[in-house]
Amino acid sequence: MLVKIAWKNVWRSRSRSLVVIGSIIVGVWALLFGSGFMNGFLVSYMANIINHDISNIQIHNPKFKQDFDVRYFIANGKAKAAAVRQWPGVRGATTRTIVSGMISSPKKAAGVQIRGVDLKNEALVTRLDSMVAEGTYFTGIKRNPIIIGSRMAENLGVKLRSKVVLTFNDGHGNITAGAFRIVGIVESSSVAISETYAFVRQQDLTKLVALGDIVHEIAILTQPQTDEAAIITRYRQTYNHDLVESWRELAPELAVMNEMYGNMLYVLMGIILTALVFGIVNTMLMAVLERFRELGMLMAVGMNKARVYLMIMIETVFLGVAGAPIGLLAGWLTIYYFRMHGVDLSNYSEGLEAFGYSALLYPYLDNQVYFIVTLGVVVTALVSALYPAWKAIKLKPVEALHKL
Amino acid sequence: MSVIKANNIHKTYTETAVPVHALNGVTLSVEEGEFTAIVGPSGCGKTTLLNILGGLDTPTEGTVEVANTDITGMNDNQLINFRLQNIGFVFQAYNLIPVLTNKENVEFIMLLQKWPRQEREQRAMELLAQMGIADKANQRPSELSGGQQQRVAVARALASKPKFILADEPTANLDSKSTANLLDMMAQLNKEEQATFVFSTHDQRVIDKARRVITLEDGKIVADITR
Repeated sequence: MLVKIAWKNVWRSRSRSLVVIGSIIVGVWALLFGSGFMNGFLVSYMANIINHDISNIQIHNPKFKQDFDVRYFIANGKAKAAAVRQWPGVRGATTRTIVSGMISSPKKAAGVQIRGVDLKNEALVTRLDSMVAEGTYFTGIKRNPIIIGSRMAENLGVKLRSKVVLTFNDGHGNITAGAFRIVGIVESSSVAISETYAFVRQQDLTKLVALGDIVHEIAILTQPQTDEAAIITRYRQTYNHDLVESWRELAPELAVMNEMYGNMLYVLMGIILTALVFGIVNTMLMAVLERFRELGMLMAVGMNKARVYLMIMIETVFLGVAGAPIGLLAGWLTIYYFRMHGVDLSNYSEGLEAFGYSALLYPYLDNQVYFIVTLGVVVTALVSALYPAWKAIKLKPVEALHKL
Repeated sequence: MSVIKANNIHKTYTETAVPVHALNGVTLSVEEGEFTAIVGPSGCGKTTLLNILGGLDTPTEGTVEVANTDITGMNDNQLINFRLQNIGFVFQAYNLIPVLTNKENVEFIMLLQKWPRQEREQRAMELLAQMGIADKANQRPSELSGGQQQRVAVARALASKPKFILADEPTANLDSKSTANLLDMMAQLNKEEQATFVFSTHDQRVIDKARRVITLEDGKIVADITR
C-alpha cells in the first residue's frame, strides 16, 4: 500500500512532477552524452597513438632506450617476433631497426628517427600503408625508397620522388650516409609520424648500419579486449633479458588522460546530480509542506514515523528514477547514432589534429558507465529524500491537523 | 466499564507571549458504548480536550487512562501505536487520502494493523454498505459530496473496531440533510457495533442526538448531563 500511495502521490501534481522528471531525463542524457563525447575524444586519441604509433606493447634491449645506440639490439629479434605472432590475443607483431640521425634535402636538414620497417607486418600493426596520402607504400621505386610525414616534407621543402640523404653513425661508430628517394608522404594526426619519423625498408637500413639483420624494437598490437599484462608476463617468462613495456609506460600521458577521464566522469556526474538533488528536494519539500494536514492525519490514525519516512523516501525515489530510464535510453540512442555516423568536427580539424585528435569523433561509453549513472540517480534520489522525509516525521499531528 | 478516565487535566500553552490555560482541571470518565458530546463556545478547550483524550497532545498536568492504560507518559511512537490499536478518529475536514479509493481509505487502518486482505476487504465493504455508499467504493473521495466523504471517514474510524471514536466537529462542514444522515448512521453504529463515540461540537443537532452532554467553559466542565 505504501508503494501504491507513494506512486500515486508522485502524480498528484502532474506538471510539477513532470518538470522534475524532465530535468532528470535531460540531466541523465547530458551526462551520458557529455561523457560519451569526452570518452570519444580520449578513445580516438589513444587509438590513434596505440594503433598507428606506439602499439600496445614494445620490446627493446634494456640499454637501447638510454641513448638509442644502434649496438643495443634485441638478440634474435625476428625469431622472437615470429613466435609472439602465434600467441593468443596478439593481432600482430612487427620488428623495427631504429637509428637517430639527420635528414637533408637540397634546401634544409633536420633531426630524424629513421625506422627500418618490415613492410608486411608494419602495415598489419600500425597500418602505415593506410596513412600514405601521396605516393605509394614502398612500391614504384626500387632502390632506397623512403616515406616521410607531410610536415617533414613541408619543412624540408621536398615532394614525391625528391631525393634526401640520411646521415647517422653505423654499428661501428662511423658516420655513414645513404641517398633515398621519397616514395610516399604520410598524413597523420600524430606529431611524431608527421614530423619526426622517416620510414625505410628494414633491409636497406641494416645494410647501412652494418651489424647484420638486427632489430631494435618489436611492436605488438593486441586483439581488442585482450589483457596486455598476460602477454607481457608471458614474454618476460619466455625471454627474460628484454625490456617489455606496455603503452601505459611508453606514453604515461595517455595513462594519465585515461585516469583523468574516469575522474571527469565523476566530476560531471557530481555536478549534474547535485543540481538534480536541489530540484528533487525542492519539489518534495513542496509536496510535504502542502500535505502537512494529510501527513498529520496519517500519524494521528496510527501510521508510525518509520512508515511515513519510508513513504516519502519511496515517493522521492519514484520521482528520481522515473525519468532515469528515459534519460538512459535517450543517451544510449544518441551515443549509438553518433557512434555509427560520427560527430563531424572538421571545422576545428586543424587545431584538433595538431593535438593528435581525429576530425570525426565517435562518442563511446562502456556499459558500466550506464550502470554507474543509474546507481548515481538512485543514490541522488535517496539523498534528496532525506530532508523532506525528515521534515515530514518532525511534524506533530496535532499541529499539522489544524494547519490551513 | 470506563473506556476513558481523565483525571485533573490541565493544559497551558506557553508559546504565546501570555500563557494560555486551555484546560483547568478537567476530570471525566467515558463508559463503553456512550454517545457523548463535548460542547461549549469557541475557545473553551473542546478540541484541546479531545486531542489529549486521543493521545494527540499531552496534558501539562494530570493523567489520561484509555482502556486502563495510562497514556500520559508514552513517547511519540508508543502513542502512535496506541492510537492505531485503540482509537478511531473522525476529523472536521474528513482528511481522507485523496489518491486512494474510498474502499482503500476504509481499509487503510486495517492495513496498518496487518489484517489479512480478504477480511480487510470484507469489513470495508460491510461498513461502506452500512453507511449507504457501497456503490462509491471504487471512486475517489473527490468524487463524493462532503456528507459522503464524512461517512467514509466514519467507516474508516470504525473499521478496526477501536475502543472509542473521537470526532472533532464532524458536522461542521455539512449541510443539514447530510448532518442528519450522518448522525443517524453514527447512532445506529453506536447501537449495532457498541461503538463508543465522543464528539466535540457546537452543532445543536449533534447535541440533540447525544445521550450525554459535557459542557466546557474556560477550560472547565460546567455541566455533565446524561439523558
